Amino acid sequence: MSTKTSSEETTKKSIGDVILEVNNLQTYFVSKWGVVKAVDDISFNLRSGETLGIVGESGSGKSVTVTSLMRLVPSPPGHIVGGEVFLEGTDLLQVNDRAMEKVRGDKMAMILQDPMTALNPVFDIEDQVGEALGIHEGLRGKTLKSTVIDMLKKVRIPAPETRMKDYPHQLSGGMRQRVVGAIGISCNPVVLIADEPTTSLDATIQAQYLNLLNDLQEETGVGIIFITHDFGVVAKMCDRVAVMYAGKIVETGTVREIFNNPLHPYTEALIKSVPKLDENVDRLYAIPGNPPNLSNRPSGCNFQPKCSTPNEACITEEPILVEESEGHIVAYCAPCYEEHKCAWFPRDIN
Amino acid sequence: MTSENGALLELRNLKKYFPVGGGLLGGLTGKKEYLKAVDGINLTIEPGTTYGLVGESGCGKSTTAKMVLMLENPTEGEIFFEGQDAINSSSAAKKYYKSNVQAVFQDPWASLNPRMRVQGIISEPLEVNTKMTKLQIKNKVSEILEEVGLQSYQANLYPHEFSGGQRQRIGVARSLALNPKLIVLDEPVSALDVSIRAQIMNLLMDLQKEHGLTYLLIAHHLATVRYMCDKMGVMYLGKMVEQAVTDDLFDTPAHPYTQALIGAALPYHPDDTKEDSILEGEVPSPINPPSCCSYAPLCPEPDPACDANEITYREVGSGRNHWTAHCAHCMDTYGCYYFPRVNPNVRGI
Repeated sequence: MSTKTSSEETTKKSIGDVILEVNNLQTYFVSKWGVVKAVDDISFNLRSGETLGIVGESGSGKSVTVTSLMRLVPSPPGHIVGGEVFLEGTDLLQVNDRAMEKVRGDKMAMILQDPMTALNPVFDIEDQVGEALGIHEGLRGKTLKSTVIDMLKKVRIPAPETRMKDYPHQLSGGMRQRVVGAIGISCNPVVLIADEPTTSLDATIQAQYLNLLNDLQEETGVGIIFITHDFGVVAKMCDRVAVMYAGKIVETGTVREIFNNPLHPYTEALIKSVPKLDENVDRLYAIPGNPPNLSNRPSGCNFQPKCSTPNEACITEEPILVEESEGHIVAYCAPCYEEHKCAWFPRDIN
Repeated sequence: MTSENGALLELRNLKKYFPVGGGLLGGLTGKKEYLKAVDGINLTIEPGTTYGLVGESGCGKSTTAKMVLMLENPTEGEIFFEGQDAINSSSAAKKYYKSNVQAVFQDPWASLNPRMRVQGIISEPLEVNTKMTKLQIKNKVSEILEEVGLQSYQANLYPHEFSGGQRQRIGVARSLALNPKLIVLDEPVSALDVSIRAQIMNLLMDLQKEHGLTYLLIAHHLATVRYMCDKMGVMYLGKMVEQAVTDDLFDTPAHPYTQALIGAALPYHPDDTKEDSILEGEVPSPINPPSCCSYAPLCPEPDPACDANEITYREVGSGRNHWTAHCAHCMDTYGCYYFPRVNPNVRGI
């Protein structure tokens, strides 16, 4: 596949209406060291047939964001303290637990990172793929069985009729993750959340799996939220990107806008610090310091060489979000945006 | 001091077989199966250079590293360090070898003892292997800490007080303590966050330049290998399938597996022009691998002899030490590569 065809394909992709809208979501964890604002006032939306990448490092809050959407945040210590999550017009944070159970696995499904822990070792593949179909679609007997076979065919498991009698340990890593994918798409979800689904897979298997997800999206028009820390995965999979850092979305934009014109220094650093395969560089661009401790966050512009006068307000005030061009939003440090245009980028410099 | 061909480390036909299965019945019938984790690896590393060993999980690269570190005894084969046989040697020579070959491990959360302060972690090899006084050791520790980008007061802290990148710096500091000649880097950045990886890779490159260190880098991320290595080898199912100078291997990959690995590497821009080549099928079990031509479209009918998995190496290009593995049986007839695979669906194309 050459670039031309792949870029044509992306434009050919049919992206529909907004199906998921997240407004000002806040999820906090209460610990004895204080309140950790794991997800702190983030907003984004997702259209049908679109892939939104949520990119960030460990601890940036990307997994907590999607577990909040599914309302699976362990509580205590976690609490969704504010915000709205509209899935096809219904605010999921307002519905009762029974209604939420109907949403999970049916309208909104999830593929987790590690297929070995996502699958139950004591049930065979048929039981596990069929479980959601039995609960949500009420399928029984022969129809259930044939639907399970169809699902396994869709994720390209060879010889599904015999393979579905296997237990997870009898499958390879790539096959297991395909089975998890089959469970995810079994009830025709509107939103599919993929939480780093390929980090435990080998490079060649990862490429197979990503292509599979793209094909499934083309067939079903499902909206995918793709969580990753790898900009290579983003370049291959996503239409739009939200970059998370320290519990906030620091930059949002279309994938080309983000790659061609990253405006937040963190996004830029993430793209630049990855070595390239067909280029021999002498030295990699490295971003100094470490991501901050979320229960004791430093000032929003402590990492900005431009800003000579960080003050108390830079620590306490929330960042302001500025739309630089259509759909391209960047977080700036509010008190000194006017003067220095500092990006909001708290960082532990020691 | 190096061997006659100028290599610091040389592995000759190194093998590691693990006995599996059998059980009671196997014990009675005397039938024993082996998992051939590493099956005849040859490589040489020149002083001051970095050799990259790549491959997917289960290909034997970590077992190779363990044998180099003398944490596993090879089933067969030899390890030559500075021209001396390291396996069949006196205990004094082994001690010399072990203090000159150090390691940095993948997971900095698992490789540092949580009950020891950083001072203790770094000074332990010095206490065991040298006759330095306490004060000398203390000074040496703070010197190394500064070299890896930490501060000397941090010697009094425990590992949990550091971030992932800082912990990996402590791991690097520990490996430097004895001024080794060779450091085995077993996936040194794959457990770290993306923005921290570049810091550690740059640190390793700087230290190499400063101390003339030699690295054996185990990795699965190809771009990391391209950035850090002078020479590299690609492992598949316990065997080396291709070996070359790094640039040659990326510019003219010969073996279909190497091509697939490079093809499977993710793009770094949405408009990337990289050819998308997807490898079909899966890596077979190393206990009973199928025919070595199972993924070779050129081989019309694999002979039972192909199942013996006899391989032979042939040079690619001329004179640049670029080798690739072929099926010994039908290389001359069909040019088949050594590439056993399950469910490839490509035979006869």
